[in-house]
Amino acid sequence: MPQLRKDPVTERWVIIATERARRPGNFVKRDENLNDDSASDCKFCNSTETAILNGHTKVISHAGSFLSTDQKYSHKGKGLYDVVSGFGTHEVVIETSEHVANMADFSIEQIKYVLEAYKVRMIELQKNKLFQYIVAYKNYGESAGGRNIAHARSHIIATPIQPARVAEMFHGAKKYHREHGKCIYCDLIKQEKEKNERVVFETDHFIAIAPFAARFLFEITILPKEHHADFTGNIEGKEGDLALMLKTMLMKFKVGLDDPAYNYVIHTAPLRHDREGEKWKTIKDDYHWHIELMPKLTQVAGFEKGTGFYINSIPPENTAQYLKEVDIS
Amino acid sequence: MTEFRRDPILGQWAIVHKTNSWKPEDYKEEKHEFTQEQTCQFCPGKEHQTPEEVDSVRKEGSHPNDSNWQVRVVPNKFPALKIEGETDPWQEGVFEMLNGVGAHEVVIETPEHKKNFADFTPEEFLNVLQKYQSRTVDLEKDKRFKYVTIFRNYGNSAGATVEHAHSQIIALPMVPRYVQGELDGAQNYYNEYQTCVFCDMIEQEADEKERIVVENDDFISFCPFVSRYSFETWIVPKDHKMMFTQLTEDRLKSLTEVFKSTLSKIKSCLNDPSYNFFLHIFPVNYERQESFHWHIEIVPKLTKLSGFEWGTGFYVVHTDPKDAAKYLREAS
Repeated sequence: MPQLRKDPVTERWVIIATERARRPGNFVKRDENLNDDSASDCKFCNSTETAILNGHTKVISHAGSFLSTDQKYSHKGKGLYDVVSGFGTHEVVIETSEHVANMADFSIEQIKYVLEAYKVRMIELQKNKLFQYIVAYKNYGESAGGRNIAHARSHIIATPIQPARVAEMFHGAKKYHREHGKCIYCDLIKQEKEKNERVVFETDHFIAIAPFAARFLFEITILPKEHHADFTGNIEGKEGDLALMLKTMLMKFKVGLDDPAYNYVIHTAPLRHDREGEKWKTIKDDYHWHIELMPKLTQVAGFEKGTGFYINSIPPENTAQYLKEVDIS
Repeated sequence: MTEFRRDPILGQWAIVHKTNSWKPEDYKEEKHEFTQEQTCQFCPGKEHQTPEEVDSVRKEGSHPNDSNWQVRVVPNKFPALKIEGETDPWQEGVFEMLNGVGAHEVVIETPEHKKNFADFTPEEFLNVLQKYQSRTVDLEKDKRFKYVTIFRNYGNSAGATVEHAHSQIIALPMVPRYVQGELDGAQNYYNEYQTCVFCDMIEQEADEKERIVVENDDFISFCPFVSRYSFETWIVPKDHKMMFTQLTEDRLKSLTEVFKSTLSKIKSCLNDPSYNFFLHIFPVNYERQESFHWHIEIVPKLTKLSGFEWGTGFYVVHTDPKDAAKYLREAS
């Protein structure tokens, strides 16, 4: 029997439809040419751009981005519509000086440097009061929206607007806290640990779970076990531990799922600056930062785009079990 | 230069390129590979390979499940939802779930294996729209259902697994998130301004003209100011009171004219891209809400979503909708 499952935070419903698994697959083709280009003409190996941050990683400003601080911040109306200028920053973290495509192939030490770069840049960017949100994310592989350059990098974007998906999580978490006096993510971690069906891996400070209402095959959520709303406020001293978590999960993807394209996104609380008011005051108790890790294995079709329902043909209990057993030693 | 644009219904934001807007040829082309007709289960003569039909358009004197048909509606062989079962939810700690009850049907739109939907004759096109209508009316009789989703996936990267022209219908025991978002957004707007947000939107489009693709007396198709995808195109009825399930044959013919022309333009302008379309009709077995206005959304699949879009819900649109509309207007 298929099942409809509700994501407890965003209240998004997902259809877990095991019948669909028998259907001739509509799987994403592997990005065969991802590792074709050579180091000699790689723009990241030979990057001459001014570094915003330099060391074990190099952070540069993304020149051709859809956001830039060259545009002045403005907010105006146009009939029915609100329009805000494309003001913002877009930075690229070149994750290693070596020509390596997949973060899964990094040493834990090198992943730690990448996380430190996120932390340092995000702390700096959050000082700008025009920014409401900062997101760090990665696209690995063309089908995950990355360009076909076999050199690992990720992105940090700061925007003057709070994104819709962040607002969704933030409202869901706030609602739960108001009703139960507790953080929903903390309750969820507790429940998942007790049941132990969907937990894939744990380190000292982090836990990787296949979410109950997973939208995508083999989707994973990585949460800090200790409650904290902000990535930047929580990560200090835990970078190495999170690096171990990422290395493990990315290797499990690479080995167990045949080197798929993937995205990860760090979801941290919206920036409060010195805003007063109830809504802003309780964020630190309501919200719990986390990472979404999504391999790109199937195409999103009209049903999903039109309704917001996702159809997932393998229950997350099974994907968790599978990933748990993938041997990466 | 880019700008953030806020959707007045759902409240989500898109980031639209105003300068260096991509031209149709800047998008990567996708080849559609056809499998052999011999293995296609939707072709005439293979009727026994699908579940028995629930509706059809047939030649006079023909019988259900024989080969003399123009359109067949059959249950999906690999359904996402199943018809039997209760729809009461239950809880497990923080989690809530319910049985996957619903109907999942396939509309096989033509007996011809390689015929492109955009190239259908007006009569063939109308036949399909009529089946969307009759199936919705029939599925509404099952009181467990709250919504009937009608959608089409064309091309592999838009999620199609079978090449033979078809669309799908899924009846759901709840109103889906995006439709609920539109219902709520339209109601909030109505409470504030006492007008329909969709009517105001088409009025603004009619005033500004630059984003209109095709129109006739009854329907308008345009590239919305706040598109989420490049070359996204909406078809909206001009008459607010017109319900999809109650459209007369004349009105369906009128819709056929605008709908078919829009799809043909997308096909010729963007070199037969993969696309999805879906109908956002009013929920079934649901209290009437005057502020809602049904419509069709067509989204060509031209780019791949990145972690930024997945993570934030911001959509990056590479072609300014007014440029997209111009390219589409000029295409045949």
